[in-house]
Amino acid sequence: MKSTEPEFAGHFEQLAQGRLCFPYCAACQRFHWYPMPLCPHCRADGWQWRGINGSGTLYSWTEIHHAFDARYTGALPYIVALIEFPQAPGIRLVANLVGTSSMGLAIGQAVSADFSQVLAGSGPLVFRAHAVAAS
Amino acid sequence: MDIAIAGIGHTPPVRRSPKNIRHLAIEAIQAALDDAGLEGHDIDGVITDGVIMPHTVPREFIAAQFGMTRSFDGGVSFGGAGVAAAPELAKLAIGARKARTVLFYFGVDWGSRASGPYGFHDMYPAKMAFEKPYGFNAQPSYFALWARRYMHEYGMTDADLAVVAISHREHALRNPLAQARTPMTLASYRAARMIAEPLRVPDCCLISDGVGAFIMTSLERARDLRQPAVKVLGSSFASEAWSGDDIFTQQAEIFRVTGAQAACRSALAEAGITLADIDFAELYDCFTISVLMQLEDLGFCARGESPDFVRERGIGVDGALPVNTHGGLLSHSYLLGVEHMIEAVRQLRGAAGAAQLAKADIGLVGGWSIPDYGVCVLGRDAR
Repeated sequence: MKSTEPEFAGHFEQLAQGRLCFPYCAACQRFHWYPMPLCPHCRADGWQWRGINGSGTLYSWTEIHHAFDARYTGALPYIVALIEFPQAPGIRLVANLVGTSSMGLAIGQAVSADFSQVLAGSGPLVFRAHAVAAS
Repeated sequence: MDIAIAGIGHTPPVRRSPKNIRHLAIEAIQAALDDAGLEGHDIDGVITDGVIMPHTVPREFIAAQFGMTRSFDGGVSFGGAGVAAAPELAKLAIGARKARTVLFYFGVDWGSRASGPYGFHDMYPAKMAFEKPYGFNAQPSYFALWARRYMHEYGMTDADLAVVAISHREHALRNPLAQARTPMTLASYRAARMIAEPLRVPDCCLISDGVGAFIMTSLERARDLRQPAVKVLGSSFASEAWSGDDIFTQQAEIFRVTGAQAACRSALAEAGITLADIDFAELYDCFTISVLMQLEDLGFCARGESPDFVRERGIGVDGALPVNTHGGLLSHSYLLGVEHMIEAVRQLRGAAGAAQLAKADIGLVGGWSIPDYGVCVLGRDAR
């Protein structure tokens, strides 16, 4: 993914290697997202990318049925998930959830990253749902 | 110094207008001038939003067209929050004697523009890099995530969202100008096409071409003009430390309306009233869920209680708090809330036609441009 913002690049470079990384500030020991030039919590310069395993939980999701952009017309419907990670508290990631229908999902459900597309350079990061959490 | 709204004007709500946005702006502004009984050269201050209009209908174009020599110009927020906070800026200018008569105008041509409202968020670099590749690039998809989470936390159902959609449609049926005038029932709501689950077509605002305008001056001067003066009792902008990039996904409590509580408290304090004094509200109903969130964050009810509030207390013209008496963004038009200010003025003039409320002495306009919020409290001039 090309972007004019230099602080974005590391995320995609790491993703291409199969690693999910977020900005982590050693000064205040907090993650932030999306990447900003300075840590938005403490204004420290020089945060680092910190990798996490791809295990998360579903904070919310939506199944999209309308092509807001013509390039998605053939992909409808698709699921956009908002995911939280125990290893990166305080932030949430937007990504597609595949291999499931919206009917089978529940908030709090465990999901995990599937890096096969990014490693092959054939598409963005996707997540897959585990069995519904008992909650 | 007390100020008042002395003139209103707008173009007829329509999905696609044959006129371009500059022509629409001229039509709306001329209507507002005519309504007030003023000429272009009477305007010495011009305010619009700070993001959208500068690229479509800049202030200097309007000034050149209408012959406006100004001593004050301003741009505030973008879209809805700017509409409701414009009187705050006008009051500062008029009170400081930097201007005497201030024009506000705002509109969009998102019905005609190929990317519609969805292209607007392309200005946010992180959204472009981290969201658009996942097909997460449009307002309905953000609000769908919020609605789903709200359902999970507070037990809201699609029937609760339908109450909001149906109430707005019933108001639109009283307004011959409204864009969406097909009667709606729970069954027809549920039969409507899904856009971004759980939001269906009737949960989402319309798309429109159009412009609205209003003219502000001192209360004293407004009383000498053509229309009954409508007093600006309070107007306030508030925002928090969020950007358009992160507000939609990263806030701890994702459906909290940033700025709403602060702007509302400030505007009510300025007016010297409480929420109990508000007869009706015109709220930024970009989605059904948006109305529920704002009822809570403005303080009309507690978090999680808005579904019960709309069902039991009522937001229809006969309800405890009539909301969006013209049909709102959901059923009247989507001009990002400038039509809300115009409708509030109509109600307070007693000129709202079949949607006229029995009691309309004080109205609240809530304008939202996430993460910004603006509140304007308007009152009938009962001198």
